[in-house]
Amino acid sequence: MNKKLHALLLISVFVVATCGLIYELIAGTLASYLLGDSVTQFSTIIGVYLFSMGIGSWVSKYFEKNIISWFIQLEILVGLVGGTSSTILFLVFESVASFRIILYSLVGITGILVGLEIPLLMRILKDRYEFKDLVSKVFTFDYIGALLASLVFPLLLIPYLGLVKTSYLVGILNVGVALIVCVSFKKEIKAAVYLQTSAVISVLALTVGFVYAGVITNFSESLTYADTIIYSKSTPYQRIILTKKGKVLRLFLNGNLQFSSDDEYRYHEALVHPGLQALPNAHNVLVMGGGDGLAVREILKYPNIQSVTLVDLDKGMTGLFKSNRMLLNLNKSSLLSPKVKVINADAFTWLRQDKKKFDFMVIDFPDPSNYSVGKLYTNSFYKLAKGVLAPGGIMVIQATSPYVAPKSFWTVDTTLRSVGLHTIPYHNYVPSFGEWGYIMATENPVYKKPAVFLPVMRFVTKESLNLMFYFPKDMAKVKTEVNKLNNQVLVKYFEDEWSSVL
Amino acid sequence: MNGRPFYKSPGFVKGLSRRSFLLKAGLVTTGIFLGGCIRKLNPKTAYKNIKGSIKGPNAKAGHILRDKLPLPAPNATRTIKTLIIGSGISGLSAARWLKKQGHHDFELLELEDHVGGNSYSGKNSVSAYPLGAHYITIANNEDTLLTGFLQECGVITGYENSLPVYNEYYLCFDPEERLLINGQWQEGIVPDFGLSADDKAQVKKFFALIDELKKVKGVDNKFAFDIPIDNSSTDDKYRALDLITFKEYLHQQKLTSVYLLWYLNYCCKDDYGQKIDKVSAWAGIHYFASRRGKAANAESNAVLTWPEGNGWLTQKLAAELGEHVRKGNMCYSINYNQKGQVVAAIYDIAKGITSNIIADNVIVATPQFVNQRLFKDIQRGVDYSKLNYSPWFIANITVNRLPQAKGAGLCWDNVAYDTPSVGYVNAGQQTVKITDEKRVLTWYLPLCDHEPRVARLAAYTRTYEQWMGIMMPELEYMHPGITDAIEDVECWVWGHGMIYPAVNYIWGANRKAAQKPVNNNMFFAHTDLSGISIFEEAFHQGIRAANQVLTIYGKQPQT
Ligand SMILES: Cc1cc2nc3c(=O)[nH]c(=O)nc-3n(C[C@H](O)[C@H](O)[C@H](O)COP(=O)(O)OP(=O)(O)OC[C@H]3O[C@@H](n4cnc5c(N)ncnc54)[C@H](O)[C@@H]3O)c2cc1C
Repeated sequence: MNKKLHALLLISVFVVATCGLIYELIAGTLASYLLGDSVTQFSTIIGVYLFSMGIGSWVSKYFEKNIISWFIQLEILVGLVGGTSSTILFLVFESVASFRIILYSLVGITGILVGLEIPLLMRILKDRYEFKDLVSKVFTFDYIGALLASLVFPLLLIPYLGLVKTSYLVGILNVGVALIVCVSFKKEIKAAVYLQTSAVISVLALTVGFVYAGVITNFSESLTYADTIIYSKSTPYQRIILTKKGKVLRLFLNGNLQFSSDDEYRYHEALVHPGLQALPNAHNVLVMGGGDGLAVREILKYPNIQSVTLVDLDKGMTGLFKSNRMLLNLNKSSLLSPKVKVINADAFTWLRQDKKKFDFMVIDFPDPSNYSVGKLYTNSFYKLAKGVLAPGGIMVIQATSPYVAPKSFWTVDTTLRSVGLHTIPYHNYVPSFGEWGYIMATENPVYKKPAVFLPVMRFVTKESLNLMFYFPKDMAKVKTEVNKLNNQVLVKYFEDEWSSVL
Repeated sequence: MNGRPFYKSPGFVKGLSRRSFLLKAGLVTTGIFLGGCIRKLNPKTAYKNIKGSIKGPNAKAGHILRDKLPLPAPNATRTIKTLIIGSGISGLSAARWLKKQGHHDFELLELEDHVGGNSYSGKNSVSAYPLGAHYITIANNEDTLLTGFLQECGVITGYENSLPVYNEYYLCFDPEERLLINGQWQEGIVPDFGLSADDKAQVKKFFALIDELKKVKGVDNKFAFDIPIDNSSTDDKYRALDLITFKEYLHQQKLTSVYLLWYLNYCCKDDYGQKIDKVSAWAGIHYFASRRGKAANAESNAVLTWPEGNGWLTQKLAAELGEHVRKGNMCYSINYNQKGQVVAAIYDIAKGITSNIIADNVIVATPQFVNQRLFKDIQRGVDYSKLNYSPWFIANITVNRLPQAKGAGLCWDNVAYDTPSVGYVNAGQQTVKITDEKRVLTWYLPLCDHEPRVARLAAYTRTYEQWMGIMMPELEYMHPGITDAIEDVECWVWGHGMIYPAVNYIWGANRKAAQKPVNNNMFFAHTDLSGISIFEEAFHQGIRAANQVLTIYGKQPQT
């Protein structure tokens, strides 16, 4: 055996080892991204992976003839399975019910295949080395490979390529080994042409995957988010992105932050409790927008509430918040409560049909940053909303920042007043949003500040409420026009005011 | 732009005589035919993936009238008091008025299997959309007949400080208009972005002039420019403007900015289907100076529109008519019997049978180019050849997204500077839904680069691919990459889309003659009798003719 071949086989050991460990790391990382709780995820993944490798080693004894050819096929297979694994996992993540089964199956299959590699390689090499040399060389390269993998993965691969591309790249390396072995041992193996062709095709397929990985998890997109993207989906209406850093989850719709799990309680408490606490006899609540179920979580804290109707446009949103474990933890499974009815419909159209009345209404739409959403802040919309408000009822509207966008905020107030509603504007500080504003509206001037709040409250209390109702000079009321379907002044104000800070 | 028809080289078809018209028309047809062949030979046309069809008014009916095809002899006769022929806005308005005034013995005849004429509309799974007329502006406040109707159908919901409150779902949603000019979409259609101070000053001067003309009254204390136009002042000072073209007038006013002239050409194309050199100055000014409507909740000149355009108003006008309407029946001749009654010969298009209707009186609400074929022995003293109609091409384009360009986003009305079309309207503008990206865009192309007869003939012979060849380069210019987003294009050709107010038509003798009743039992109603084709004119044409009928029965028409 010549020197070249010699080196080549040892490099193969090294590459195979590196790849094997990287697959394990990918599976672990992906599982903890998607399912949360990294300790559990990593340890179960490593367990399953190592165990599967054991199975692979054990199975290796059943391979008797044509070991080189088997090894080549094995490498191609590892490359394909490992290379596409993270894509598959990202794609099936939505159908969460089966996600774990698929996750562990993929980890198992990869483990078995990787477990087969080293024993087979050792048998190829066994006639070429003395046993002690063989063991020492193979294991040395195996462990060096592992070290390299553990350094390259977090420092280079994930930050620069992202998970999906990394998988494809590693898959390509595996198949590359197959190709090199194939070419080098051309004379010793049967069907060399066939193996070589399949290796080439696989490399091409994985390269295509590598190039188009951006479609699956938009890498360029991931650059614009500070944290790791753990879920992204384009629904017909919006792009939903969920990111995670440490324990903190953040939800973005079309690039705009909707909540950050560490301070969303400030927002949702402020949105719901000043109004609902003042309505001890409220039974029926309507929530428009707010498909994350976080406002509903707050509403369900009142035992007198009998039914909550949530109208959100996007099935993709409510579906996600009904099924993802991390998100269910966050919204306390509020959307699964038997009291809650989720309706996926356009709020404006839905309101125009005849409706029953609601004691309390939460209008929590995205900011009026475009003309489509702007319609949901018009006098026409508020007229309809007023029509479904029960006598003595309260509605509350998220109304952007009175500090950054005072004109926008007070336009919502002016518009509500223009349809004959009485308004109670207030605000609080939500660290990830800044100073934020809300407006309660009632048909008659009946609002009385609640004397006590639920003890579970972390932000809203009788004392904090006084501060919330007070508007310092830098957020004081300004004169604005009424926002109408045929003028959409709010969108224009909003654009002006936010463009000067962003 | 290479989106222009191949024959659009300067100097082609100029000052056509009758003889050369035939020659040129032949050339055009041959050219189009050859063009079609060449495209067939070279199937790699860029737009072959776009599917759809070309439609238009019933072609068979036109054929029967024009070519006088032999029809079976009438085998039945019906007698009624009043017959209305044509269910465009004029005919519908006449019928509504008769019914409202308690005159019930009438029939409304329509050759198409739908009412509405040029205000017809279509619908697909994405949206309803207009096939012709698509908007009106808020009514002049003293036009109580119109405001009455608008209130009746919920367009006006009430009054505040004696100003009408318009239904906010019908007032055009913001953003309303944008113009692609100097590489960017600007808000509004009046050119502004990239204009020199000089050009801007001229635009300002023009609108200042219009503001004056909006207010002026003649010696008879009537507005110089009013709607319906027959309410306008008879003062010669203003009527003289009908004797020159709008182009000459602008020249006299020293308004020469190319941007301003483009804009005024655009407006005339939009309203009349012709440019400033073809329409009279009086008509050109009327477009701007006749609308003075004030509302409690909208600006003056505010637009009212619906997904199906004026198809919505059509349905409201027809709402109470029920059994009175007979669709799919065309009138192919009108005569008098010995008793002086009107005998209308009717062809049932589906069944292929004919019958006679004997009526005490008739409202002919069909255009004069049709009437010319209906009357054999009735002389009206009208020179039909002096009535000019603009042909139009409409495309309803279903797209699954709209590639965005620099500047203002999608509006209701979207126009590109210096292109042959007058742009497109977004049929889904009035939806309150947060829509996905699918929408229908209605693209309007007035065929005004040649004499109407030539343009009409060319339009009739053009194939679907040829229409795409005209339309798509312009759309691609507005939205690079839009071709791939198109799911379907439904084309519609209006051979005689609308009358246009050529010099001396509106205040000339011909229009007067065409409006005149015959034997005090045959009355006429159509926008071509106004010379300006807008909903309001059609609406009043109908009421005027209906009142003429009511007078026969001694009914004092009440408003
Ligand atoms: C492309 C286009 C865009 C337009 N846009 C606008 C707009 O935005 N706003 C606006 O106000 N106006 C617009 N108009 C003008 C529009 O034509 C008028 O508003 C109005 O619809 C005209 O109504 P009409 O009754 O006068 O005529 P028509 O619509 O011509 O009605 C005549 C009717 O008679 C029927 N008929 C004809 N011959 C016979 C026969 N022999 N027997 C029986 N029935 C017959 C026809 O089928 C038709 O229904 C537009 C027109 C076109 C072509």
